[in-house]
Amino acid sequence: MSTTRSSRMFVAFAVALGLAQGVAQSQAQGQAQGQAPSTAKPVTTLTSPVTGNAVTGKKLYYDHACYSCHGFNGETGARPFVPNWPANLATERSFTAFLRGRANVAPVQPSTSMPNYPVESLSDVQANDIYAYIRGFKSAPPPLEKIPVMNQILSAAKKPYKAQ
Amino acid sequence: MSKSKKLTVNRRGFLKGAASAAAGAAAIATQAPETGAQTQPAGAPRSNSPAPPPTAAQLERDAGAVRPPAGGNARAAVRPGSDLMVQVLRDLGIEYVAANPGSSFEGIQESVINYSNTPNVMPEFITALHEESAVTMAHGYGKATGKPMCALLHGTIGIQHAAMSIYQAYYDRTPALLIAGRDLGFIAAHSANDMAGMVRSYTKWDATPKTLEESLVAIQRAYNEAITPPCAPTMVVIDMELQKEEAGAMKVPAYQPPQISGVDPGQAREIAKSLLDAQNPRIAVGRLRTPAGVKLAVQLAELVGASTSTSATQGPMSFPQRHPLCGPGANASYDYTLGLEQPGTVSLTGPSLATLLSRDTTNIGFGGIAPGVSRAGGAGRGGGRGGGAPAGRTITIDAEASLPVIIDEVRKQMSPDKQRVIQDRSAKHADANQSARIEALTRALDQRRAGWDASPISTARVYAELWPLIVDEDWILASPSNFSGAHNAQLWDHNKPYSYLGGQGAGGMGYGAPAAVGAALAAKSRKQIVVNVQTDGDLNYAPGVLWTAQHHQLPMLTVMHNNRAWHQELMFVEYMCGVRGRGTERGHIGTTLRDPFIDYRMMAASYGMAGEGPITDPVKLGAALKRGMASVKKGMPYMIDVITQPR
Repeated sequence: MSTTRSSRMFVAFAVALGLAQGVAQSQAQGQAQGQAPSTAKPVTTLTSPVTGNAVTGKKLYYDHACYSCHGFNGETGARPFVPNWPANLATERSFTAFLRGRANVAPVQPSTSMPNYPVESLSDVQANDIYAYIRGFKSAPPPLEKIPVMNQILSAAKKPYKAQ
Repeated sequence: MSKSKKLTVNRRGFLKGAASAAAGAAAIATQAPETGAQTQPAGAPRSNSPAPPPTAAQLERDAGAVRPPAGGNARAAVRPGSDLMVQVLRDLGIEYVAANPGSSFEGIQESVINYSNTPNVMPEFITALHEESAVTMAHGYGKATGKPMCALLHGTIGIQHAAMSIYQAYYDRTPALLIAGRDLGFIAAHSANDMAGMVRSYTKWDATPKTLEESLVAIQRAYNEAITPPCAPTMVVIDMELQKEEAGAMKVPAYQPPQISGVDPGQAREIAKSLLDAQNPRIAVGRLRTPAGVKLAVQLAELVGASTSTSATQGPMSFPQRHPLCGPGANASYDYTLGLEQPGTVSLTGPSLATLLSRDTTNIGFGGIAPGVSRAGGAGRGGGRGGGAPAGRTITIDAEASLPVIIDEVRKQMSPDKQRVIQDRSAKHADANQSARIEALTRALDQRRAGWDASPISTARVYAELWPLIVDEDWILASPSNFSGAHNAQLWDHNKPYSYLGGQGAGGMGYGAPAAVGAALAAKSRKQIVVNVQTDGDLNYAPGVLWTAQHHQLPMLTVMHNNRAWHQELMFVEYMCGVRGRGTERGHIGTTLRDPFIDYRMMAASYGMAGEGPITDPVKLGAALKRGMASVKKGMPYMIDVITQPR
């Protein structure tokens, strides 16, 4: 979960604006706001070279809380990136440039945008390590028809509405 | 209201002189000289001189060594005043009184549990382990039913324990009836001349009655104020003496429900005509007050064949999501839109919180509202984003109270030709809405396959696995879903006024479990079940409410969204670390719940609640949820600790 005392104003503000889905939405919006603009389309397969150490990268992914927005395997959360890899994850170089790309912008309101990662926070080697780790992420969920629960949900929705 | 003659004199003097002075009352009288309160009428301001140091007797009392006075074994009262207070609550239909016990309302508590031939029923005493829990229970109950539940608060300390939850219910426009006990002569720190003043900025109405008669009327008035829009918590401060006073032959005053105004006949005629003349009318439905309002909204939409929007995926008391008329309809170009507690072309929106600003005597500008500053979105908080609201004419009037007269007018103006057109239009809307629903659902399901087999478990899977288990039940999702992905909004159907109770109100944490307990209190007597997708940080504010659920055997399934963090805060701090360029690897400090992880299964077990977990394997989730649901359907709460993805 969650939020704490210091985020109450943010949440209350979000509620006041009618953001009933609130934080999830504002999180996604903030995320988009914080990202370097890219017009390139996402790709599903990456083949660029990987030089980093994935084992070290796994620890860094956790320590720097990358999972907080991207899930523990890049598939879930506010900003999943597999299987549709955004262009800024195409190569080690683009990834590092992306990490460095957010200026030191500190909005007055709290933000769940992608943080800035200057070299003082994360070296190029460490960035490559993280890149090596996330490049190993796979997304192969079962097809919808193979998930019984989802088929039950769909079947239920097709039943006639019962007056309440 | 006239005061009783005897109480125009000092009550303590009255008590001291009363031949039938009982143990408790006599204790007050004998202790009164220590505080000097016997020389002052109750409620009168005290001198500005510093409070005297506590006496030895005072310290002894504060330490819990409270004894009845020597001698005197007379009965307190044949018909204590608190019996009449409880009768008033019963007449009002108050089902439950939640409280953490406190001496200042011991008279009322004794009456709740002993009065009449049906003691502890209507209302039933619900044992709370924290005043914040008690009031949030009332908050959850109020949102599930549209009716107030009662919470008892013990003096200054109980009120302050409850303060955040009162504020939150107020911000959420939810009715609740709060009774605070006061005893000016017992423990000084627990009393104040103006106890309700502590929360006056965020209660709608309060009273500190001076007589028993006034107390009874004040409870009725507080109830009426709470349910009259804008709905909100109200408070009555009741002195201990009044609870213990001999009522004699006093009668409980007859209850008069409030008269809530709707549109006038001319406005109703105009609205009805516009709805019937429109080629493609629409009704935008926000949050109405009660289930009766929802029923009326359905009735109106069906009568005129209007497509409708709903806020049922965001909170309670709105239009059924799966109703054939709910959705964009066959044609999204609407030539007349009626808003019900929702901005629209013509909007009926009840009075807003802004009308209560005069209550904010401390001028704290609560919730971002300060006098003279209008709130974004105007009157309807459930009604959108303010600035984005379409320009239109807003009639500041209660929508729910307006619906009967509008429906009457529609019926009067209806013709067979119009009926034929409406039937045809309704059928087209139904087809279009169902197609749109299936299309949106299919898309939503496809998106939620992502991470289906992941461990930790995806929040989407939690909601997806739950839905087939409750779809044919009468259920309430009591917990806010915004921190767990809000997947219910896309995957579930919210067709009852109480299907989803929405967010915390003011974003105050510690809300989920007690609100779910309050909803489960409503559910218990209505044969419903409650789902509580419980965020971990939120539960740790006052987890004792799990004991309340177990003790009172409430039908509540708690599924932990255990991401082991105050997760949004983690993201905030990470961002701050990033923009300042000083390292993001310490963002977990103060934002995560690790080292050690908290074992919620053990927590629940310590409160006597059955459950299982922690579950990390998604394959095991479905069976666990089935076991949980089986327990809840038998009327017993259950907790499943699920280790989840962050969001």
